[in-house]
Amino acid sequence: MSVEEQVIEHAKQGKLLTHKCTECGYLHLSTAYYCRECGSKGFEDVLVDGKGTVATYTIITVAPAGFEKFTPYAFVVLKLDDADLRISGFMEGIATPDDLPVGTPAKITGFDERGILIEKQ
Amino acid sequence: MEKVCVLGAGSTKYGKLADSIADITTQASVAAIESAGIEPKEIGASYISNVFGVADKQVHIGPVLMSRLGIPDKPSLTIESACGSGSVSFREAYANIAAGFYDCLIATGVEKVTHTGTEWTTTYFAYCSDFFYEGQAGASFPGLFASMARAYLTEFDATEEDFAKVAVKNHDNGVLNPKAHMQKKITVDDVMNSAVVASPLKLYDCCPFSDGASSVVLCSEKFAKEHGGDYVEVIGSGRGGSPAALQGRDHMTTIPSTKIASEAAYKMAGVTSKDIDFAEVHDCFTIAEVVDTEDLGFFEKGQGIQAVREERTKLNSDISINPSGGLKSKGHPIGATGIGQVVEMYDQLTGNAGERTVKDAKLGLTHNFGATGASCAVHIFQSV
Repeated sequence: MSVEEQVIEHAKQGKLLTHKCTECGYLHLSTAYYCRECGSKGFEDVLVDGKGTVATYTIITVAPAGFEKFTPYAFVVLKLDDADLRISGFMEGIATPDDLPVGTPAKITGFDERGILIEKQ
Repeated sequence: MEKVCVLGAGSTKYGKLADSIADITTQASVAAIESAGIEPKEIGASYISNVFGVADKQVHIGPVLMSRLGIPDKPSLTIESACGSGSVSFREAYANIAAGFYDCLIATGVEKVTHTGTEWTTTYFAYCSDFFYEGQAGASFPGLFASMARAYLTEFDATEEDFAKVAVKNHDNGVLNPKAHMQKKITVDDVMNSAVVASPLKLYDCCPFSDGASSVVLCSEKFAKEHGGDYVEVIGSGRGGSPAALQGRDHMTTIPSTKIASEAAYKMAGVTSKDIDFAEVHDCFTIAEVVDTEDLGFFEKGQGIQAVREERTKLNSDISINPSGGLKSKGHPIGATGIGQVVEMYDQLTGNAGERTVKDAKLGLTHNFGATGASCAVHIFQSV
């Protein structure tokens, strides 16, 4: 299974697959092949719970091809509770900024043709 | 290292153009060659910046240009670095002259996309993101910058009306630029009442998709002096990178590559941000100009918006930001934009900027990035 396929399979379980550097402990998304902090290549897989809070977001009304039927929707950057990492994804059912203040608790809930799916907790 | 100069510059008008991508590439290049007062045979090679040539059925544009210029035996290189392609192409030409490989080169940027329509361009632009994480989840480019804008509104004392003032200022400048795509004045109300594209950004917070080509002739100082005519010196050049996806950055209201590139350019030039008289910065969206002016060191973090409110970035104020009208009003023909900024440097520093002249300008800076600033180049120019 490719690295991206592994991310997808874990996202479907509400988890984020991460890479922890075996040299310095720095935590990366699992698409990292070399450590950003110390440059080494050894990683151990660490599964992180997909719960967090909204770091920032936008509500998209003019969408790229394939997403027109979902508008309006939010593209969300989620800050994870259990790791110093952020992950972005798609959130449906968001029409106005009042629906999603920055800091709103949210979590990874799946993956489909809309990428990694995030929902409010 | 050889000193590098810009000897000539030219652009097509930016906007919706009828001529083909090969035609407009040639038109801008001929304008630069004539501005420089050289013969095409004096050009050693060309550096072409272009992203979506496929949209007008022409990739590998370099040899087509060289054939049309009557120098088909001269080499060319086509460069893609998303919206920052032009400044990277300029940098490659700069580096080749500085290293002594060539005495005279041409760098031309071009894009031809308006005939494809908004959906095509929105979709293909999204391919410049870190697609697995961003484009795949429905992020558009307005959406990614809107995410930065939302973070800025949350973190600092700023309003959507403040962002609108950036658009109003750049349209004021663009009205004075005969090559600009959007030559009309707008008001804060116009921006606020325009359709929401990606909240909090509205249509008039966004630069237009444009067609256009820009070109500059670069040469060694020795070549420029022997040749005569107007030229400007390139005294600083820097490049930088950022995590490709916004999620990889510790702060959503700063673009790391801008800081890295500008610090390198300032160091090479032996100047600081305080010495710069005017700058062409990458204002693909209003939020971008605010973030840029902070990351370039013109204002403290969080203070860029205050400077906009106090009109300190208007033409002939504290520091003239985007006297050309910027991407917002002059237009954004993706591959041409970074070269177009250098054309503005040449016009301003040789006294050919007409009504939008920055008074007593000696030092100008260009800042051009790709995607959400995943790649960036900064150059500093000095009048002679």
